[in-house]
Amino acid sequence: MGARPKRILPGFGLSLGFTLLYLSLLVLIPLSGLVLKTMTLSWDQFLDTVTAPRVLAAYRLSFLAAAAAATINAVFGLLVAWVLVRYPFPGRALVDGLVDLPFALPTAVGGLALTAVYAGNGWMGRFLEAHGLKVVFTPLGIIAALTFIGLPFVVRTVQPVLQELSSEVEEAAATLGATRWQTLIRITLPGVAPAVLTGFALAFARALGEYGSVIFIAGNMPMQTEITPLLIMSKLEQFDYAGATAIAVVMLAASFLLLLTINLIQWRSQRHQTTP
Amino acid sequence: MSIQVQNVVKRFGSFSALHDVSLEIPEGKLVALLGPSGSGKTTLLRVIAGLEAHDGGTVLFDGRNAAYRHPRDRRVGFVFQHYALFQHSTVFENIAFGLRVRPRAQRPSENEIQRRVQEMLDLVQLGGLADRYPTQLSGGQRQRVALARALAIEPRILLLDEPFGALDAKVREELRRWLRRLHEQMEITTVLVTHDQEEALEVADQVVIMNRGRIEQVGTPEEVYDSPVNPFVYNFLGAVNIFRGRLADGKLQVGGLELDAPEHSGRAEEPAFGCVRPHDLVVSRDGHGMPVLVKNIHVIGPWVRLELRRPDTGEPLEAELPKESYRDLGVSVDEMVFVTPRKFRVFLEGQTG
Repeated sequence: MGARPKRILPGFGLSLGFTLLYLSLLVLIPLSGLVLKTMTLSWDQFLDTVTAPRVLAAYRLSFLAAAAAATINAVFGLLVAWVLVRYPFPGRALVDGLVDLPFALPTAVGGLALTAVYAGNGWMGRFLEAHGLKVVFTPLGIIAALTFIGLPFVVRTVQPVLQELSSEVEEAAATLGATRWQTLIRITLPGVAPAVLTGFALAFARALGEYGSVIFIAGNMPMQTEITPLLIMSKLEQFDYAGATAIAVVMLAASFLLLLTINLIQWRSQRHQTTP
Repeated sequence: MSIQVQNVVKRFGSFSALHDVSLEIPEGKLVALLGPSGSGKTTLLRVIAGLEAHDGGTVLFDGRNAAYRHPRDRRVGFVFQHYALFQHSTVFENIAFGLRVRPRAQRPSENEIQRRVQEMLDLVQLGGLADRYPTQLSGGQRQRVALARALAIEPRILLLDEPFGALDAKVREELRRWLRRLHEQMEITTVLVTHDQEEALEVADQVVIMNRGRIEQVGTPEEVYDSPVNPFVYNFLGAVNIFRGRLADGKLQVGGLELDAPEHSGRAEEPAFGCVRPHDLVVSRDGHGMPVLVKNIHVIGPWVRLELRRPDTGEPLEAELPKESYRDLGVSVDEMVFVTPRKFRVFLEGQTG
């Protein structure tokens, strides 16, 4: 055992201890309860539960819809952030405030509103269905709901970074002979990419767990428009607690792996930008 | 390439940043735009670069109008005060940027790019740092990367916006000498914006003094320092003593002194003032000149600065003399001495900036 290097910033032990305790109480203990409950199943029962076709379909739908929604948000959230940061226009503060509404609104209200608008007799739905595009009770509706609740994540993570990115850097690119397009692709986007990725990860994680807004618009048909959280709820309603936790544990492990991967990419890409 | 700025006007809303500015920048010279903040010097530089559209007048490059040319087509190297390096790219990629974004037909081969970047790195003496990221460099090194990046496109004009403003004094001094040597090597028309008179006087072939959106004086460093055309330039380029008095028959009468001002002869009597630099004030004890009281004595290395006061008006004056002269003089605080200006200029009252 060598001597421990002395730290300049005091309170490392105390603050780390508190952090671990806090995370344990809030996150780890409830989650380990989940795992413990699952372990009341035998391995075969567990496998049977999580590989049932209906469950697999729900997993597939949940992950794909969440990924699609987060991707849409990454693209359009970046655009919204860009407009809010770069162009002063009357009513900008109002638009800026609108971005946060999906945070504040009870998600069920959002789901109901979306359903009303996109239903066959709704404002948008009437028009879309005339063109053969059905939104309500299809995966498309699920993606719409998940996009709605995930929007603020991308906008709010990208906005400050875009603000920091000085217009001088873009002017420098222009004087060096770059076109607007080259400047965007080679300078601006790489500069905000880490923030967009963070926003994507947050929106994705949020979309995976979303329940309230989706159940109204999805129609919840098994094998077609049934998301994983809903499947878990229906297991619970049938008092199949172990079955519900089994599905949840797989979902949890998969999300954790995905988010960990995103964080690793993030960490690698930002390493050289944060060294003083 | 030479630059002609003709009657350029630039407004930001109701604020007029450049009033009818005309300036000739000869080919191959290093010209400093010098002025206090808000004098329009950076705006003028940005107009030349095409980063700012002007509201009136023309900018000619080699006699051809550049007004409608986009910055990317002007082949102007621009260096920003805060470097504006691409944080996510290495030093190598920063310098190579201008070569890589060229249209395919004009783009050099990868080998050629490698060679050019290496050449630039050697030029700015950062040979071993190609793989570093900007955040891993010191301020002085970052600014040299920015310069290498600007030079890599073989610009016809180099524009520097307070390039050393964010660096500490010692690095700043080193870099500006180095810039001067570099300029002598490359002979590229260069415009440097600065608010530091010492920097402008040391580096430039020609100094342009700006104030409130207008050009006050253009000349060699010696000309602008030794013969300022107005009190603003006098004041801006160093300390100055003001002697207020009355002008008659080409002579300024100030508290017992008579200063010759032949350029103002033949005018009716009117109020005027003389400007004298502290080191142009001769201090003696022989009774000639204006009597003044010594209020304070500062010895600064080889120089001595005397804080003086006129007993008649109470106005403060300042004189600077070499340490040897000070020893020979043998004055102390609260003693009476006499001053006469060795060199001065007389301006009429109301003739300011």
